[in-house]
Amino acid sequence: MSALIIFGLLGALMLSGMPVSIALGLTVLTFLFTMTQVPVESVALKLFTGIEKFEIMAIPFFILAGNFLTHGGVARRMIRFATSMVGHWHGGLGLAAVFACALFAAVSGSSPATVVAIGSILLPAMVKQGFPKRFGAGVVASSGALGILIPPSIVMVMYCVATSGMLVEGPNGEKVTAASVGQMFIAGVVPGALLGLTLGLVTWYRAWHGDFPCLERATWSQRFKAFLDSFWGLALILIVMGGIYAGIFTPTEAAAMSAVYAFVISVFVYKDMGLRDVPKVLLASANMSAMLLYIITNAVLFSFLMTHENIPQAIANWIVGQGLGWIGFLLIVNILLLMAGTVMEPSSITLIMAPILFPVAVKLGIDPVHFGILIIVNMEIGMITPPVGLNLYVASGISKLGLTEMSISVLPWLIAMLSFLMLITYVPEITLWFPRMLGVL
Amino acid sequence: MLMRVLDRLEEIIITVLIGVATVVIFVAVVQRYGLSNSGQLMGWAKSQGMDWLFNAAKSVFVFLNSFNMTWAQELCIYLFVWMAKFGAAYGVRTGIHVGVDILLNSLPDRSRYFMVLFGLLAGALFTAIVGSLGAEFVWHMAQTDQTSPDLEWPMWIIYLAVPLGSYLMCFRFLQVAWTFARTGELPQHDHGHVEGIGEADEPLLTEPHLHPREIKHGEGDKP
Repeated sequence: MSALIIFGLLGALMLSGMPVSIALGLTVLTFLFTMTQVPVESVALKLFTGIEKFEIMAIPFFILAGNFLTHGGVARRMIRFATSMVGHWHGGLGLAAVFACALFAAVSGSSPATVVAIGSILLPAMVKQGFPKRFGAGVVASSGALGILIPPSIVMVMYCVATSGMLVEGPNGEKVTAASVGQMFIAGVVPGALLGLTLGLVTWYRAWHGDFPCLERATWSQRFKAFLDSFWGLALILIVMGGIYAGIFTPTEAAAMSAVYAFVISVFVYKDMGLRDVPKVLLASANMSAMLLYIITNAVLFSFLMTHENIPQAIANWIVGQGLGWIGFLLIVNILLLMAGTVMEPSSITLIMAPILFPVAVKLGIDPVHFGILIIVNMEIGMITPPVGLNLYVASGISKLGLTEMSISVLPWLIAMLSFLMLITYVPEITLWFPRMLGVL
Repeated sequence: MLMRVLDRLEEIIITVLIGVATVVIFVAVVQRYGLSNSGQLMGWAKSQGMDWLFNAAKSVFVFLNSFNMTWAQELCIYLFVWMAKFGAAYGVRTGIHVGVDILLNSLPDRSRYFMVLFGLLAGALFTAIVGSLGAEFVWHMAQTDQTSPDLEWPMWIIYLAVPLGSYLMCFRFLQVAWTFARTGELPQHDHGHVEGIGEADEPLLTEPHLHPREIKHGEGDKP
């Protein structure tokens, strides 16, 4: 009963168009004031302690690092390197866009940022070379989604934040701990590479079919030069992933290090950015991070209410009682998340849905890491499905295509991603094999 | 004039907070890593009988050891909480807080006008309540002498971020609502905007449709 009221209220408030964070907060306040005896002071305390965790601070650091990389010329050099490697195949610059997005995704934690960084440079170049605009915009919008699957990833941090500290039980009543940020990052490597390959194949096939232009084959010395030029950017991949894997840094520290590193290479090595641009980048990053942290605060409040009303447990018991196996459950989860993905942005969905679905998943014997990656892949698809898909907006901004045309242009890649989602959902080994091999799981 | 000062102050505060937090964590990691490495180097140099290297490593070790950076994480968290509270207020002004606006944008102009106002006023209401709850909480906390674990700062000053930030955010919501009521303009955040990217300085991007459409098309409140 209370679940119905809570979700009804939240749904109504969200549909009115107010910010998701405000809708979450108002739902909690209304419910607590009218229906329960929870002391209101505990709400005030939660508002502060909700984000008082060091893991969460990885988010602002990764955003800052991403902004430095976008403004500081790292993206441009990565594109040149990617083009020199794959530009001579069918699809030329299109293929290079997929490759460059994958490379940039490995240093940045956000999808729209990846689309902006790669798309705003490559898309005009593709149009100039005679690619259909639709094709170019489609490639960039869909490959940009790699940003949150290839580590580091802000949405992965969100998933860990949303589920950490939950007391959940496996199928036989044993205690299961939630996934850590480090585990999620390492688990994202193989699915990320695989999805990159899939998107590349679709691009190649379409280019071969449509006979789109390719570039001249770059010589090995040109490739080596492009590699050296982008080396400082590529080294960041090693710093973040190597540092976390070797246990030198925690993920948050790795994020802070990559922010400082990105600042140094942008300002002092590549010199694409002056010192006086730094405050602007800091302000833009602070703005974006504060928005995300504000959603987290209110989502923590919301999941406090959920736990207080025992809703996740009730849903878990109900679903298990329905005799729905993990196969059926994951199908429902996928549909639910894909539907949510069409109207909401990933951070809010993850923060609201993960705490509710996670106990059920664990109870059905699904690995927390596998479940997390599944959510991330769903979120990626959500970013390119209308009416609300951040990547579509950004790509439509760059390409000046309308939203409807944008939505059609991503279709081939969207279908590929949906099949990829099925693969990830029902073959957990793809996700779990790599972290198990490294011994982090 | 006063508004200008407030706007600038808000921007400076959050810019400085995110910058300082980054530097603090960077220094803490370098210190910790340097400490353990110079310690290892000392042992190795001694076993090799290289006195000069041993002495050099030792002086680095002693130097680094003279700082105690255990408070870095705590400070970073507090800096970011303050940044989050004030940044959220700044975000209202820049229109970065997104909502679900499909229903909203399919409404006729007049109803949309009222819905948008409703959303903004709901934001003001929520932040006002939270600010008051926070103020009361801080007031009670100020009567105790609770301090933070590592820095040993009084907790009520740290928690002051909740009432201050929320009241500021409330003020921003009212401000945006007031502007919207009079002119029909909403601040819009452009997610695709990057300065200095692309071949020429031509504007690469149009406005994304992330926000409720404006009634009259205007420039929006550029920060």
